[in-house]
Amino acid sequence: MTGFAQALLLGILIGGVYALMASGLTLVFGVMNVINVAQGAFLIFSALVTWEVWSTTGVDPIALSLVTTPMMFLLGWVVYRLFVRRVLDAPPSATVLLTFGIALVLEGVMGLVTRNVFHSVTPGYERTSFYLGPLFLPKAYVYTFAVAVVVLSLLYVLLTHTWTGRAIRAASQNLPSAQLVGVGASSVAAMTFAIGTATTGVGGSLLAVLFTFFPASHYVWISRLLGVIVLGGMGSLPGAVLGSLILGVAEAMTSTYVSPRWATVVFYIVILVVLLFKPSGLLGRPVREDVVAA
Amino acid sequence: MNAGRGGGSEQLARERRAGKLLVAAVAALAVVAAACGGSNASGGGGGGPIVIGASLPLTGDFSQPGTAAKQGYQIWQSMVNSSGGLLGRKVQLKIVDDASDQNQIVTDYNRLITQDKVDLLLGTFSSLLNLPASAVAERNKMVYVEPAGGAPEMFSRGFHYLFFAQQATAPHQADQFVKWIKSLPAAQRPKTAAYPTQDDPFTKPVIDSIRKHLEALGVRTVYQTVYPPDTSNFSTIASAIKAKSPDLIAHGAVFEDGIGMIRALENVGFSPKIFFETSAPSQGDQFSKGIGIDNTEGIFYTVSWSPDADYPQNKQFVQQYEQRFGGVPPEDAADAFAAAQVLQKAVEAVGEIDQAKIADWLHSHSVDTILGRLSWDETGAPQQSFLLAQWQNGRSEIVLPKEVATTDHVVFPKPPWK
Repeated sequence: MTGFAQALLLGILIGGVYALMASGLTLVFGVMNVINVAQGAFLIFSALVTWEVWSTTGVDPIALSLVTTPMMFLLGWVVYRLFVRRVLDAPPSATVLLTFGIALVLEGVMGLVTRNVFHSVTPGYERTSFYLGPLFLPKAYVYTFAVAVVVLSLLYVLLTHTWTGRAIRAASQNLPSAQLVGVGASSVAAMTFAIGTATTGVGGSLLAVLFTFFPASHYVWISRLLGVIVLGGMGSLPGAVLGSLILGVAEAMTSTYVSPRWATVVFYIVILVVLLFKPSGLLGRPVREDVVAA
Repeated sequence: MNAGRGGGSEQLARERRAGKLLVAAVAALAVVAAACGGSNASGGGGGGPIVIGASLPLTGDFSQPGTAAKQGYQIWQSMVNSSGGLLGRKVQLKIVDDASDQNQIVTDYNRLITQDKVDLLLGTFSSLLNLPASAVAERNKMVYVEPAGGAPEMFSRGFHYLFFAQQATAPHQADQFVKWIKSLPAAQRPKTAAYPTQDDPFTKPVIDSIRKHLEALGVRTVYQTVYPPDTSNFSTIASAIKAKSPDLIAHGAVFEDGIGMIRALENVGFSPKIFFETSAPSQGDQFSKGIGIDNTEGIFYTVSWSPDADYPQNKQFVQQYEQRFGGVPPEDAADAFAAAQVLQKAVEAVGEIDQAKIADWLHSHSVDTILGRLSWDETGAPQQSFLLAQWQNGRSEIVLPKEVATTDHVVFPKPPWK
């Protein structure tokens, strides 16, 4: 029983952080139909900046998300204006190729600048835990989970209670109608891409505290995040949260009760089974491709 | 190593391949451009440079060790050229990037051999990449000295032109560690042990062989598990290990999993009396910064090279590295340097570039390198043993074998995490 509670807790804590990392990816897909394969590279970039600033100034890495988030917002906006904007009307494969290209370039640049070595951010609390009777809660997991919950809540409020957010949601639900009532498609897309990228700012800072990373780590992260949003339903924010919690808990349960060897496999089996019965993912809306306006 | 990376949508994999195609196309263009430029790099004898070809993982999963290997080759090149070259000719390196991809590396070595017509080859990094690359070399009857690829599968194919330029294959990597445990008085020996390892051709055989030896010695196995390369959470494994509280943990780590596991053990508050880990602890300050320098105390690992070992040319290698790239050379750079030394010694002894003669010479002679003296059996597997190292007072010290030990002190039992 203790083992079960322990695995469940660890799974939920890490799932919360996965959810934050996946939120931007699903948001951008929902509104723009763009699968941003560079999301993983953005995460690692933010983690590297966090490492750089933390190691030179000693500022708490989690607090640094206050810096990395606006920084990544800006980067997202620039990347959108310079590159993504040009391929919005192209087939989805073009956007995947473009964002994959961005990821490769970013990986290369990070490799050159940082001598391609592993980095760890160690503020001290990453080694210790809170104890709850027989259960342990690593402090880094607890702190990063708390931040993830706060940021996801802010994102939710932003999407539901501000004009920008309502415009973003309107554009994702029905672009032609949204345009009719005065939502500018281009500015909404720019804003969405920037917000989607901004989540990698805080996501990267949290990743830096939890894991050791190097430039090529982004491949692991992007495949994990894509899995999460496919399971949850592409484009659905609550879906990303649900998918992440399932990933976290499935990983922890499988490695406790079966073997760590099966931890990844079980998650993908879950995805397969869900897609068999609900091809749009757990909380995804079925899309009728035949009437979707370009 | 991670050929079977668990995740990855099909889409991503496809685009990744497309990306590599692009890279390949650009690389091909560059080659054409170089050829048009009238370079006389292609083969041939006479006074032109000797061209040595290699493909290394400079991007992708193995980009970190791949980059280090390139540095090792480059330092060897500049040291050889500044002392008169090889057979009186300058040495020129032709190093291309295989993006840590098994298909790309086959293309690369085929191109190096048949189109660029390089005079000699040097190997690449990791068993995963050396497996196909060495097959290309063997088919073309080219000597293939490789710096890092000790999986048993490498040497079960009866290759004649393949040589592994480290001291031992993976199953023998931890021989000195087992020897040390055997040397302990029976009362002090560990009673129980846990064996977590990554599913990797260079870690799993090491851990399997430690387990086999220790079980024969009467050490009870209380936990063993194999996890896939993309595992990043070790809390559940650590908490399972804590529940068994073994005296010894032998962990088959590549790198980030080594740090992840130690952090997780710190988190659950469990520290064994003996802690052995493959690879990760040999990464100098990348390792000590990852887990905190205080927590390195007493951690064992095996390593092929030490900056302090008193072998010929070792000091110059360390100095040149410091001058050119800064810092202490990583082990992977030293291994690459040693591989190039092996090739150099054989070519000099034979006195000409004759692949068959070079291979025959290496099969019947031993070579002094910065890793010590190396020799090979008929399959190209080396016959020596790795160094057993231990972190002591924030430094890595060589504990065994006695001839090259930097200290006669062994930290045992390991102090608890700080």
